[in-house]
Amino acid sequence: MTMRSTSLRKTTIASALSVLVLYGGLILSLGWFFDGPVLRDALVSERTLFSVRLSLLAATVATCLAMLLAIPAAYALSRYRFWGCELIDTLLELPLIVSPAALGAMLLIFFNNPLGVWIQDHIMRIVFTFAGIVLAQFVTILGIATRLLKIAFDEVPTELETVARTLGATPCHAFLTVTLPLARRGVIAAFILSWAKALGEFGATIMIAGTMAMRTETLPSAIYLRLASADIEGTVALILVLVFIGLTALFISRRLLGKGAHA
Amino acid sequence: MLELKSVTVSAGNFRLQDIDLTLAEGECHAVLGPSGSGKTTLLNTVLGVLSPERGRIRLDGVDITDVSVERRGLGYVPQNLGLFPHLSVRDNLAYSPRARGLSRTQFQPMVDTLVEATGIGALLDRQTTTLSSGERQRVGLVRALASQPRLVLLDEPFTALNESLRRELWWLMRELRQQHGLTVMIVTHDLTEAYFLADNVSVLLEGRVIQQGEKAAVYGRPVSPAVAHFLGVETLQPGRVMIVKEGLATVEVGGAQLLAIAPPGVREHVLVSIRGEDVILQRGAGEISSARNRLPARVVSVQPGSPLMGVELDAGFPLFALVTRPAYEEMNLRPGDPVTAIIKAPSVHLIVRTP
Repeated sequence: MTMRSTSLRKTTIASALSVLVLYGGLILSLGWFFDGPVLRDALVSERTLFSVRLSLLAATVATCLAMLLAIPAAYALSRYRFWGCELIDTLLELPLIVSPAALGAMLLIFFNNPLGVWIQDHIMRIVFTFAGIVLAQFVTILGIATRLLKIAFDEVPTELETVARTLGATPCHAFLTVTLPLARRGVIAAFILSWAKALGEFGATIMIAGTMAMRTETLPSAIYLRLASADIEGTVALILVLVFIGLTALFISRRLLGKGAHA
Repeated sequence: MLELKSVTVSAGNFRLQDIDLTLAEGECHAVLGPSGSGKTTLLNTVLGVLSPERGRIRLDGVDITDVSVERRGLGYVPQNLGLFPHLSVRDNLAYSPRARGLSRTQFQPMVDTLVEATGIGALLDRQTTTLSSGERQRVGLVRALASQPRLVLLDEPFTALNESLRRELWWLMRELRQQHGLTVMIVTHDLTEAYFLADNVSVLLEGRVIQQGEKAAVYGRPVSPAVAHFLGVETLQPGRVMIVKEGLATVEVGGAQLLAIAPPGVREHVLVSIRGEDVILQRGAGEISSARNRLPARVVSVQPGSPLMGVELDAGFPLFALVTRPAYEEMNLRPGDPVTAIIKAPSVHLIVRTP
């Protein structure tokens, strides 16, 4: 029994360490092409700073919009049985099973059909604009955000809402004072993971917004363009910027969620 | 006070049918039933979480069938108490008055009185997750009562506690009822708890109220074999009514004859129901007593128990008696010993068997 559990311990810890070796190794391998002056130049270049600002702003706007829709949607999927709820539940994984490029292509095709053209002509220009970047990121993260929030709401017992209502709270008041505070760790985790995913989004963004320098060039697009032009050192510098921002966000999320929390 | 009239409600595959239930002002009413009998469904219907397909619910004469949960003015303590883990005890207690828009001066005196009565003053700044079981129960009760509900609903709130703590809280509940004139509906599968706390009981089996009335009457005179089984009647034997005279029925049970109060509409074939605590045992032929039934019997086995010992007898039919430990030790009963089983006629209850 002891031998078996020791063997299990060794095997599982080795698996966990292999994750570290894989991702850590990939990051460390960047060092082979690391060039300090190039990194410094990249960090202070107007074009890079624009890409960073654009990526941070678009990811934040897209995540806020996604949360505004995902919170009520996830609550409905968690609490009510209604027509179409199982179909919606299945569709939440669409961005995971369909490649981001395909998702972006679907958006581009939509904006070339009569309804999409009308929207572009009368409401807002989407294709090759900042709004297009936000929309691509929004579509990519909405399903994941809703799934994570649904899990968070599922973990709050409905009985607590019933008790709150017997104590005089309206359903809305019960949601705001009981359900949401109890699900707050899940909500924060959903926000930060969705934001991180939006920040690194590339496939859908390039399809609908393109990669126009100083206009729609996000950080992942900039990485792609640098690599396409065989600028390896510049690519490494931008990857390090993206990794730094992403890991910082995840670190903050773990701090916010408390020690031992799994984002 | 509370009146359910022909209420039918479905929850998943379960159906609660034609429930008629009445609670008077200041009454404690226990809804008794085994797991899966529909107790929680009934409670959820009164709370307003479930809507009846048919029937009406009235509270203080006002139809509340379609009134939302928060506007029914009910206090509720669920089985796991439902304390809000993200709030302190103080904030849990203030939740209801705040949700109802009461000012501090309106609710604080009541909360203070309840806090003092239940002895939870030292816990007010604690998080509910750090409380012991007994402390949690007290906080749950005070929170439900803080907004002075018209009716308090308790869903097996004392089930998970140890025996001494349970009894302590039963007494506390009794005191709170007396002090605040509470009307209480408690659902439980615990017969002792229901007997201790309630004035009246309803027996709920498979989604229907089978029997309802004053607790002693329901316990002593079950209307059906199913109710008798659920209420833990130890002796339930088929019998044949031989003669009915002056309100007394002579019943043949196995090889013995018993005198019982004849129920209305008694027929030839009955089930004889006798509770173990109504059987008095005497060694040998026994002493003279006023009891109408004196049955010679032999001890078959003795079942240790606390606080009562079970004695299985052969009195011409299987008969079960409960005796106190001192009485058992004094009689020094052993299997095969001859005894006299004495049962008063009113303690022999006849259940009319449907053909």
